[in-house]
Amino acid sequence: MERSEFQKKLIGLALAEGFSDCEAYYRENRHFEVMVLEGEISDYENSGLRGVAFRGTFAGRTGYAYTERMEEEDISYLVRSAKENAVLLPESERERLYAPEEAGGCWEKINPHLEQLTAEEKVQAAKRMEAAALQGADQVVSMDYCVLGTDWTETAIQNSLGLDVCCRRNMVTAYVCAIAKAGDEVKTGAHFWKGQDWHSFDPAATGKQAAQMAASHLGAGGMASGRYGVVLEGRVMASFLRVFAPVFYGETVQKGFSLLEGKKDEKIAADCVSLRDDPLLETGYVYAPFDSEGVPCRNKSVIEKGVLKTFLYNLKSAEKDGIPSTGNGFKAGLTSPVKTAVTNFYLEPGKRSREELLAELGSGLLITDITGLHAGANTVSGDFSLSAEGFLVEKGKQSRPVEQITVAGNFYELLENILEVGSDLYFAGNGTGSPSVRVREMSVAGE
Amino acid sequence: MLKKSVVENTLTAALETGADFAELYVEETRRNQIGMVNGAVETALGGLDYGAGLRLFFGNRVIYAFTNDTTEENLIRLAKETAATTKGAKLYALQELHRKYCRGVNPIAMYPNGVEKAKKAEYLAAASAAAFAYDSRISQTRTGFLDVTKDVLVANSLGVWAEEQRVRSRFTVEAVASSASEKQSGHQGPGGSVGFELLRQIDVEEEARKAAKTAVTMLSAKPCPAGRMPVVIDNGFGGVIFHEACGHGLEATAVARNASVFAGKLGQEIASPLVTAIDDGTIPNGWGSANMDDEGTPTRRNVLIENGVLKSYLIDKMNGRKMGMEPTGSARRENYRFAPTSRMTNTFLAPGTSTPEEIIGATRLGLYAKQMGGGSVDPATGAFNFAVLEAYMIRNGQICEPVRGATLIGKGAETLWKIDMVGNNLKRAQGMCGSISGSIPTDVGQPMIRVSEMTVGGRG
Repeated sequence: MERSEFQKKLIGLALAEGFSDCEAYYRENRHFEVMVLEGEISDYENSGLRGVAFRGTFAGRTGYAYTERMEEEDISYLVRSAKENAVLLPESERERLYAPEEAGGCWEKINPHLEQLTAEEKVQAAKRMEAAALQGADQVVSMDYCVLGTDWTETAIQNSLGLDVCCRRNMVTAYVCAIAKAGDEVKTGAHFWKGQDWHSFDPAATGKQAAQMAASHLGAGGMASGRYGVVLEGRVMASFLRVFAPVFYGETVQKGFSLLEGKKDEKIAADCVSLRDDPLLETGYVYAPFDSEGVPCRNKSVIEKGVLKTFLYNLKSAEKDGIPSTGNGFKAGLTSPVKTAVTNFYLEPGKRSREELLAELGSGLLITDITGLHAGANTVSGDFSLSAEGFLVEKGKQSRPVEQITVAGNFYELLENILEVGSDLYFAGNGTGSPSVRVREMSVAGE
Repeated sequence: MLKKSVVENTLTAALETGADFAELYVEETRRNQIGMVNGAVETALGGLDYGAGLRLFFGNRVIYAFTNDTTEENLIRLAKETAATTKGAKLYALQELHRKYCRGVNPIAMYPNGVEKAKKAEYLAAASAAAFAYDSRISQTRTGFLDVTKDVLVANSLGVWAEEQRVRSRFTVEAVASSASEKQSGHQGPGGSVGFELLRQIDVEEEARKAAKTAVTMLSAKPCPAGRMPVVIDNGFGGVIFHEACGHGLEATAVARNASVFAGKLGQEIASPLVTAIDDGTIPNGWGSANMDDEGTPTRRNVLIENGVLKSYLIDKMNGRKMGMEPTGSARRENYRFAPTSRMTNTFLAPGTSTPEEIIGATRLGLYAKQMGGGSVDPATGAFNFAVLEAYMIRNGQICEPVRGATLIGKGAETLWKIDMVGNNLKRAQGMCGSISGSIPTDVGQPMIRVSEMTVGGRG
């Protein structure tokens, strides 16, 4: 069945069966991906997935159900199943639905050129990326990964309170990870390109960057333990923001798992720190005119010049705090309930380049990669202890590579200790971004 | 689930560019899940997973595509797009599809999809109450019930048309015991390819008390001493070590790439003569049982190791092609989003002749690992590391004080040689096994066994 018809029939049946309100969330994703190794296709994926998640209030309780098939019979299945689930749950966990001020609309963000690309053109681009990576540095021996993927995604939500919105978008993602060797030492370097404008994608440049990054880390040694002035590259700071984003969620604060509780309008970071969540960034890797509850999304300042301006809310957490949702109610997939999430979540860039930040640092450490964030970071206390890689900074310049070190600190303190934010804003594929930042001091464990 | 003409037309389109094998897998899965915390419902979820996967072989190369729009138009478009990644002339035509006879290895008494969730919740509440009643130190319980009803169709260009309905149910209980400074937990999770009758066949309250007993016992346990010593591993979930450290090495997925220590060793002695290991997908109502595998091949009983001699691997079609061997009914996948590959079903060590009393009695000083927890294995070397959730010291042939924090460390291939006693009390236990074709239900199992020497990690 066509999705809009399915949604309308589903809502109609649910109301007739005693639901007081309800919502039909539709998502479709068409994904194509090719992996190339040694000039040949090594793996290939072609998929089309769609489905509907239903949510509604029955007897004052919220029930969920989902389906990946959209036939007539599946409508009654959803209603029956959600009803059965609802009655088991306590009334206190009821979730309210969005009552829109305007009917909604459709955001069409499809680049038609991407839809006309043939599989062969995509395969060729992946092969060029690999070839360029192999030639990009003498020490590069092979690829760990060389993938080109395209996605076409539609999200469409209707509810019984008059909501009817949809958004379609397509995207290319190219990702290459090169392996460089010198003697027994092995290093990898990864680079990706993501966007809608195929003509601005240069596969050779992407491959070459990965190769150079891998090679640049060869010859790494340890360094003495101690406290050092540090520059965190944008990708490292973006990783921190991703992992600690939940401390800014109203939901987390209400459960008592964020130390930012009660700190709205207070200074929580250095003056140079301004943090935004911008779902409407046209060139962003994420684009969300509305969230998974249909609430309109907007560009907002989370931290402005060091001051915490707002927490991020979905409808349920916003209701608890007696304010409107910020449009951050997202679900991870059809089967998951609505939680909170960030979109294009980034530190606003400053004026000076990474090189100028290094020159200002004089001597210390440039951190280019961290690993182990999921086990080594405590989102409740903010403490982290992570394995890191990077370069020594001497006389204001990047010098030899460093490995086998761990950096330890605390996220809340990190925000206060940022001395300067660079101009080189970097976005990770998930939408989190940051320029390079210079940090007063971090504790490094090495030799 | 799909009309024969739709399947025929899709497979025909897939063969256009020279594929030598084309397969369509269609799945319709209904799942229901209830979770309780401290006897109150916390989650109640349900849904329908539906979709089709198309797999093509070009020699030793595999291409996989999947979708959940199974209209004829879309399936043919997908088949053409997928085939178009290879440029060639048609080599093989579709053979006439013949419906296969389906055995009934898993008779179902009460289809769980038809049972009201409120009824399932009653059992969960009772189990929670039983855990709390067991001991005042039980501070938290989690209970859950999951049932899955999966209809599967496999059709391929060699004329196979095979269908079956797979039903499985599982009950889980976790009990946490707390003292002023400590928390310990115990859990149980019985299940099978059975319907709602599972909750009547097992005693949910007794399962809850077992979980509570583990938690309470470990609360007062002292740290486990470290060192090399004989280890007696109890029956049931103890089989997880064989599963992880040896079973995965017997899967063609690893053997065909020569990434297994067991590659090239068929017919050779690889274990103590006391060791016989079996993978049997035909055990009635077994958690990993089915009438056929996910390539439409009937499941069977595969003797992997017989009296210490390596007899068979677990083989799927593609790896069988690479190895020059026949499939063993072992191709499995989580769902239509995954291409199938060789996996375990119900894997266990066969019973021996010793009684548990004889095994414990013959051990002067050692560790009794009553309940195993999770662990990890390096697939290339078989080196493993497992936590023991409930353990006791054995002294002079007697089970003595409980010890906590024990880990067992070793290498699968070496440990197989050190099994020096095998009990007569075979028992299976249920687990979810994750690998490249997703997370699937598998049984592990063994009788009580003794490993003559093993490295035990601990802080004591």
